[in-house]
Amino acid sequence: MKRFFTSTMLAIGALCMMLSSVPAQASSDTIKVGAILAVTGGASFLGGPESRTIQMQVDKINAAGGIHGKKIDLIIKDSGANPEKAISFTKQLIEEEHVFAILGPSTSGETMKIKNICEQGKTILISCGAAEVIVNPVAKYVFKTPQKDSFAVKKIYNDMNEKDIRKIAVLAGNTGFGKAGKKQLLTIAPEFGIEVVAAEVYDKKATDLSAVVAKLMANKDIQAVVNWSIVPAQAIVAKNIRQAGWDVPLYQSHGFGNIKYVEAAGAAAEGIIFPAGRLLVADVLPDSNVQKKILLQYKHDYENKFDDTASTFGGHGYDAIMILAKAVEEVGADKEKVRDAIENMKNFIGTGGVFNFSATDHNGLDIDSFAMMTVKDGKFVLY
Amino acid sequence: MTRRNYIPIMLFITAVIGIQLITKFTGTNYYLTQLTMTAYYSLVIIGLCLVMGYAGQISLGHAGFFAIGGYTSAALTTCNLTSLFKNGNSLVKFLSSQGMLIKSQDLYGDPVLYVNPWLAAILAIMLTVAIAFLIGIPVLKLKGHYLAMATLGFGIIIFRIVLATEIFGEADGISEVPGFTLIPGVSVNGNFDNRIINYYIACGIVVIGIILLLNLINSRVGRALRAIHGAEDAANAMGINTSRYKLYTFVISAVFAAVAGIFLTHYNGGIGPSEAGIMKSIRYVAIVAIGGMANMWGALTMGVILNFMSLRGMFGSYDDAVFGAILIIIMLFAPEGLLRLAIWQKFFKKNDSAQ
Repeated sequence: MKRFFTSTMLAIGALCMMLSSVPAQASSDTIKVGAILAVTGGASFLGGPESRTIQMQVDKINAAGGIHGKKIDLIIKDSGANPEKAISFTKQLIEEEHVFAILGPSTSGETMKIKNICEQGKTILISCGAAEVIVNPVAKYVFKTPQKDSFAVKKIYNDMNEKDIRKIAVLAGNTGFGKAGKKQLLTIAPEFGIEVVAAEVYDKKATDLSAVVAKLMANKDIQAVVNWSIVPAQAIVAKNIRQAGWDVPLYQSHGFGNIKYVEAAGAAAEGIIFPAGRLLVADVLPDSNVQKKILLQYKHDYENKFDDTASTFGGHGYDAIMILAKAVEEVGADKEKVRDAIENMKNFIGTGGVFNFSATDHNGLDIDSFAMMTVKDGKFVLY
Repeated sequence: MTRRNYIPIMLFITAVIGIQLITKFTGTNYYLTQLTMTAYYSLVIIGLCLVMGYAGQISLGHAGFFAIGGYTSAALTTCNLTSLFKNGNSLVKFLSSQGMLIKSQDLYGDPVLYVNPWLAAILAIMLTVAIAFLIGIPVLKLKGHYLAMATLGFGIIIFRIVLATEIFGEADGISEVPGFTLIPGVSVNGNFDNRIINYYIACGIVVIGIILLLNLINSRVGRALRAIHGAEDAANAMGINTSRYKLYTFVISAVFAAVAGIFLTHYNGGIGPSEAGIMKSIRYVAIVAIGGMANMWGALTMGVILNFMSLRGMFGSYDDAVFGAILIIIMLFAPEGLLRLAIWQKFFKKNDSAQ
């Protein structure tokens, strides 16, 4: 009995404290923007750069006096890539904070869990998740900034067609990114007359993949290997293939677009071909490229502020906040008008490419948002 | 159950209603969203409390049972059977004629035909019972660290299975799980306007769970369990079928976890692999420990407070670290649980002498 009373007293005390802290009402001279990002956990390589970038851009906008005099009040929530937390945070942001829009989440799995909640709460969601299901079918309030997986796959297959590669092996990490990529690779292959003769999935925390490589090597039909992954294990694949003395052409996904993976793979990274956003090669782009100016600007800002190389993932965060800021600048802080403004936005130059949104396309990027790249002397260069 | 045991339950129900009224009058009823989610997690915790506190066993795999319940029910209710129905699949036809399938439309107007959540829930619970039995028979023969390791292994296996299976959505999990209509008009789902009723459904399930467990604890079985906790060999010598009692408690607590999984999945409209993760299992154990192993009310209280804070993002990026730290600190300084610290005992002794 005593125990029970202690418990109840504690419980009532704690709950009273929580319930009494009613959040302050949004003042009219700020725009509240929520961001749900995987700052920690298994997807922190996405959420980390995204949250730093978004914070940096918001600080920049606010330092310049805000948008039409209204400052952005940014609330970043760390979901740790847990869908249940993303759900809880979304409801919190929509109902309590009455946010104007939500940026993120970092992963496709989380985005799919909150897509309907945002739709129901009539709140703009600009996701940093890559999967196509986020915008197909189109939901009225849901947008996304990363390029579609299918474009990356088509880029790779185009290159294979040029080299007359017909039989390939597919390797994928067991993350949402790997899963979605593998599906696209298998679905689109027939369109290009390519046959996937072997498909393997490896663990995202794998430290040695020579067994998988040996299995593929035994199959003499394989003319090229596509490795679709976003985790450090993708560098191990490259290493293991070259260690085994296999000189097969190796293609990677846009998930390879982080110089750390090149460093991890060392000499084995040389000659890897992959599609990616142009941020990685911003320095060597021709001056005529429309993106060059903002890519260099972002890279410069990010790398000066943080002890980290700019990655395309942070770029997805940049695009999300800048698209929102642009729309607010155009039509003022009205949710419905801003939603329409995003949907009708044309020729917005971001880090991921040139965005042209429409009522049927809430991603707005085309296949040219990807460029084929390769690794030469430990650096990314255009292929 | 004696009348004495009803008083805390009555107080708990009063608190549940009280909280709802407070949120109503302060205009903060959005707190109920996290409280509802918390209530379902609490169901796992009180079930685990039975295994850990009363039977004296440990399970580091309870997130696995939660996931079995949630994932089975999510997979069955999101699987669109429309094309099978049109092709004249006899099983689908039969289920449909028995009213076990539900027809509706998705957000984009396409027809959807899915398994009735009631049927899915029953199948999920049956599966959980079967797995808990199969795992429990060999595993509960182990003691101490070995039992901990074996249950941990079980948790990892479940985590790996959901991460690698296509029907479970691999790394993305399952989305767009429909609501669970308990009786016409009362549905477990995350719609903003269903919040209050869902809060009461969740709390109601917890109350039922508590009544069941208190009845069990205060019966012959409960006394047997405490005997096992105290000294398993002595209990055996006294004629208690220790292995059977341990197994039954394990299965019961697994079912509690599965029920929580089923309802929370319908409430959230989805489930992801993080629910099956090791950190979740450890979190449940930490909460039972901080509540004071054999103290169901303590575990419930701490579970509600900590899960509520976690779901509201109060621990920020240190979420997992907080629960790890709690487990270490409690084990070092208050192995009997926070609520049994000497300071409270003194407080009550004074009160007693005053009376």
